[in-house]
Amino acid sequence: MDTIIDRGAPKARNFEPYASNGGSIVAISGKDFAIVASDTRLSEGYMIYTRKQSKLFQLSDKSVLGCTGCWCDTLSLTNIIQSQLKSYLYDHNTVMQPNSIAQLLSTLLYSRRFFPYYVYNVLAGLDNNGEGCLYSYDPVGHCEKVNYTAGGSSGVLMQPFLDSWLGNRTTDNPVTEEEALSLVKDAFTAAGERDIYTGDEVVYNIIKKDGIQTGVVQLRKD
Amino acid sequence: MFLTRSEYDRGVNTFSPEGRLFQVEYAIEAIKLGSTAIGICTPEGVVLGVEKRITSPLMITSKIEKIFEVDKHIGCAVSGLIADSRTMVERARAESQNHWFTYNEQMSVESVAQAVSNLAIQFSGDYDSKEPAMSRPFGVAIMFAGIDNNGPQLFHLDPSGTYVQYNAKAIGSGSEGAQQTLQEKYHKSMGLNEAINVILNILKQVMEDKLSPTNIEIVTVTPDKLYHMLDKDELQEVFDKLVPFPEETKASTSAAVSGTVA
Repeated sequence: MDTIIDRGAPKARNFEPYASNGGSIVAISGKDFAIVASDTRLSEGYMIYTRKQSKLFQLSDKSVLGCTGCWCDTLSLTNIIQSQLKSYLYDHNTVMQPNSIAQLLSTLLYSRRFFPYYVYNVLAGLDNNGEGCLYSYDPVGHCEKVNYTAGGSSGVLMQPFLDSWLGNRTTDNPVTEEEALSLVKDAFTAAGERDIYTGDEVVYNIIKKDGIQTGVVQLRKD
Repeated sequence: MFLTRSEYDRGVNTFSPEGRLFQVEYAIEAIKLGSTAIGICTPEGVVLGVEKRITSPLMITSKIEKIFEVDKHIGCAVSGLIADSRTMVERARAESQNHWFTYNEQMSVESVAQAVSNLAIQFSGDYDSKEPAMSRPFGVAIMFAGIDNNGPQLFHLDPSGTYVQYNAKAIGSGSEGAQQTLQEKYHKSMGLNEAINVILNILKQVMEDKLSPTNIEIVTVTPDKLYHMLDKDELQEVFDKLVPFPEETKASTSAAVSGTVA
């Protein structure tokens, strides 16, 4: 006689490779500067993992990448980019320019078209002429050169705010560094009020000819 | 001389007790049998000139190619086993396109030389490569001429995979004499037309056949036109304007630049 063990009804195990860890990015480029900022909250659901995690990654003297979404994908992607930048420096004897990093990031993301990195990227830097430049991405590598952008969990809240302030700017009325910084602060303060995945602090990098200046602004902690 | 070579010249990946790789050295000898090619790098751009050996009057001379376009901004002149050179030019083109695709910028001339040099030493078999090892070194010398962020550049690559940057370089059977003349004639402020004139004159000296617009190929790589191969009419024009080297070196230069002397 065979013994029959009742294991109950079959259960499906779903493969869930992605997490959403929140975080937002705002970036604005100007004539001789680019500013990129992120909040420092890392969370999942109602849990806050840390209040002190910047999502900005300095890639060179003239470029900073902002990267949010699935934190493990952020770590993996930024490590790959940084190692590729180093290889490029050794192979070609020059630091990669932001427009090349932009293209590299796009091909890197698209190479994972059917198992994407779940990340929103914003690349800010100074181009060959010393002008601020900004590239905004979707998770599968579509790249657009823009003058300002907001991304991540509060991207949809902050983008219309930026649109209303910066959307109609012309070249003879360029955005100044002070104005850009104050817009960034206001955008994050507003987002922190409404989005539980954005808060704690804002860290910003202002990329200029003589170097990258960083700063911190406090946000709501709840 | 041949005594020391004994058995060590058989394998491509065995050093002789004196520390030499004979097959590579033989390959370097082999490129000295190739047709002459000359390259001059000037502040205005780079010029490549080669001779085409017409071994039969029935040959369609326009179909002999010794200078290839690698990319819009880079050309290369080859000498030696042309069949081998096709593989290397193919690699150069692929690397250049790949660089553009990945980085959205033109590949530098040095990087192209480096990429092809990697191929040149793969005859010994790469441990992590799935391709079978090549049986012998390439019997080709290549000159890469191009424009990049550092301006006009000229690189020479030999079968050992060594590449060196030059102001002016000659390869192939006439290279020894040509190199000597280049050393006398080259100066830093040379113009493009003067460089073409020098190349034509040197080819005239070292070629066995009589120099004519049909048995040479000339390419210029300049900041505005980038890679440009002189067509039949343009070749005829520079050929007509050819100013022979006089006994005193000085006089020819000024005449060549103004282009007044027929």
